[in-house]
Amino acid sequence: MTHGAVMPFCKGCGHSNILKKLNDALGLLQLDPHDVCLVTDIGCIGLADALFDKVHTVHTTHGRSTGFATGIAVADKVLASGKLKTIVLIGDGGSMIGLLHIVNAALMNVDVTVIVANNFLFGMTGGQTSSLTPEHFNTITSPFGSMNPSLDICQIADASKAGFIARKTATDKDLTETISEAITFNGFAIVEVLELCTEHGTKRNEIKGNMLAKMAEDEGHEIGVIKNSHARPEFSKKYETDVHSHKGDIKPHKYISPQFNHDLRSPNEIIISGSAGERVQSTAAMFTEAALMCGLHVTQKNDNPVTQGSGFSLSEVIISPQEINFTGVSSADYVVVVSENGLKEIQGQDIFNRINEKTIFIIDETLTIEKKGLNLVVLPLRRLCGSDKAAVGAFDYVIRKFEPFPHEPFKQLLAKRFGEYGKIFKEEFYNLF
Amino acid sequence: MIFIAAAKTKRKSFFIQTILSNFVKLVLHYYYGITMNSQNQKLALRSGNQMTAEGAIKAGCKFFAGYPITPASGIYKGLIDLLPLNNGIAISSPDEISALAYCVGASMRGVKAMTATSGPGWALMIETVQYALITETPVVISVVQRLGPCTGGATQGAQGDILITEFATSGGYTIPVLYPSTAKECYELTIEAFNWAEKYRTPVVLLSDKEIGMTTESVDYNKLKISAPEHRHLISENDADFSEWKMYGFDSPGMIAKFAPVGSKVKVTATGSAHNTKGSLKKNDPETLAVLKHLEDKIRAHKDEMSLVKEDHEEGADTLIISFGITARTMKDSVANLRKQGCKVSSLTIYCMFPVPEKAILKAAIGCKNIFIAEENFSGQYRMIIAPLLKNYNVYGINKLGTMITPNEITERIMKL
Repeated sequence: MTHGAVMPFCKGCGHSNILKKLNDALGLLQLDPHDVCLVTDIGCIGLADALFDKVHTVHTTHGRSTGFATGIAVADKVLASGKLKTIVLIGDGGSMIGLLHIVNAALMNVDVTVIVANNFLFGMTGGQTSSLTPEHFNTITSPFGSMNPSLDICQIADASKAGFIARKTATDKDLTETISEAITFNGFAIVEVLELCTEHGTKRNEIKGNMLAKMAEDEGHEIGVIKNSHARPEFSKKYETDVHSHKGDIKPHKYISPQFNHDLRSPNEIIISGSAGERVQSTAAMFTEAALMCGLHVTQKNDNPVTQGSGFSLSEVIISPQEINFTGVSSADYVVVVSENGLKEIQGQDIFNRINEKTIFIIDETLTIEKKGLNLVVLPLRRLCGSDKAAVGAFDYVIRKFEPFPHEPFKQLLAKRFGEYGKIFKEEFYNLF
Repeated sequence: MIFIAAAKTKRKSFFIQTILSNFVKLVLHYYYGITMNSQNQKLALRSGNQMTAEGAIKAGCKFFAGYPITPASGIYKGLIDLLPLNNGIAISSPDEISALAYCVGASMRGVKAMTATSGPGWALMIETVQYALITETPVVISVVQRLGPCTGGATQGAQGDILITEFATSGGYTIPVLYPSTAKECYELTIEAFNWAEKYRTPVVLLSDKEIGMTTESVDYNKLKISAPEHRHLISENDADFSEWKMYGFDSPGMIAKFAPVGSKVKVTATGSAHNTKGSLKKNDPETLAVLKHLEDKIRAHKDEMSLVKEDHEEGADTLIISFGITARTMKDSVANLRKQGCKVSSLTIYCMFPVPEKAILKAAIGCKNIFIAEENFSGQYRMIIAPLLKNYNVYGINKLGTMITPNEITERIMKL
């Protein structure tokens, strides 16, 4: 803290005491000021920045201080020196609007110390009720006493598996020690400090500093150092063992250098529709990959219900010798339908507006399309390929029958995925040609 | 055609086949514009989202925090896989507010950071975007648009977040917005977005949409145009200019102060409140007001170098079509159709949506009478922005809600005139 700094707070305000104790704690710990970052929230406690002229100060938005601090701490511990001590100063109001940042920082166990300066109300804006205002406590917006019990933020921290949790009052003799312990703690620590707002709190309530602990206890809130346990590793240690050490398992991307020729002269547009879980989209992806192995340009668009694992599954594929601009299928060359769900979907969508007189409809033998005048090819796909490979069979059929590109690359991909090509489908299927 | 058949059957001897297939390639290339099996192709099927993730890695991104949302989740997944392999870290956040706050925090610590979301998530991030803007903290936010308002249509595309991404600050500051139209451009412009964030110390939005983000397409990695990654300009106490350095200092509108990361030997004073050049809160102080103005000036001063567009000019054209993102691709097909029908038409693809590339737009408009702006929203959001520039032209919108505008829809609209 700047030597001789004048506190910007009202006479008797607990904030002055908290900041003095924090300053004492930093002195006690003999931390290099460049290795300390104070992250302050909105409200009177957020005026602290100007008082600390050596350590880094980051004054944030309301409630979000712990969120910013989490980013700073993770980046420091995982990607930088790892020496930084990140300390959040937040009020009772901020701690509720930013509760999920506190909860998640505790769950992550990032090396952040959160000091909640709890004076039971929003002071800077005129003394309104906060979620940490005790029941029956009078504020400007609860003139007859606050209706709700106050939130026990230490219990929330406990439920969020925080390692260090303390609830103190601003006048506690050992507050410096408790704050020091919290800062030293390698992982998430929270210290709630009960204090008085002399402008708005004491005027409306019969209350003195020495009554704070009792008030908390009356609310059922524990006082003192509630938890000090290093049972959980700090975030960066956990990241090292749980993620970083597995990075060798991540498969590198594969690239394709086209090995096959094609003689496709204009784009082919294909719509395939079937049921979720029946490899519609993944087979479409194999088809596009095979096309890519021939040096074709491709696009693939998938559609399915938001639940993903149920109902229809649809892919729109374009393969083209030229660059593809518009990625929609506007005049399909092939419409492939392999299941009832798939049929329902194409009938529901405007697919009949996206075909032409040459469009070939390939449908499973179990399905009937009412619409007249279609170039229908009815195949026993589900019977000969199985329901899970009807889409695979359909694409295989399209490639072999209509030869948009050589069959070989698709065959290779199928063999890689399902084993020997000649044994993927029932023998009868291979004889369809 | 005989040659094609010969090449296809592959029954000839290797020698003959090679000669024939090379001849076929030549013929195809010459007459049909088809290039076959170039040996130096490095192809892959990639979505725009995947390419954004890969572009981020190339740009030097080391930190990603994500919250799932369709259609942006592919970027999140991409970087969860890629960052650990590239000396970085990707983490999951409990909401979008945290996602961006984590990123801004990480950036303050000195690492390049990014998050990705869609309209509903962007709505939650707006406060934190402003924080990044006023603290001049580089960060990249990819906004993959879906149908709005509100939850809208998670799996439906749209170009309806143009105004909400840009006009997200109290005070109306320019947030640079880049908008690729292909998976390839997602890669290239993600690098640009990071470079701008670093160069101008600002949040940058990489706008895309469901169709670009989630559609997979062939990408030739050997054709990527890769800008050199911009490194963050850091201040150190050994620098000659250290004694004059201030966190938010400037001596000209275009000047951007060097950055001091939290944790370095240079004390950081960062704040989301109006502040002077040192970062101290000063109400109604001329220096503080100058800092607030400089936040905008520093972007405007670099407007010309940020003007990224692609012009397809046709001599004698009296019609210009302007578009961006997924609709720019539709426009390309439509322009080809129109020209085939004898229509003289020029087109302009906008990559830098904001700051508005005013000069490039006016240049493309020279000689034209009619200007069409095609975008997948019903109100003509970008048209509202650029129409005041085009007072001397007939300006029309081609708009649609819920599905992609088709090439025919553009063509028919223009033919109708």
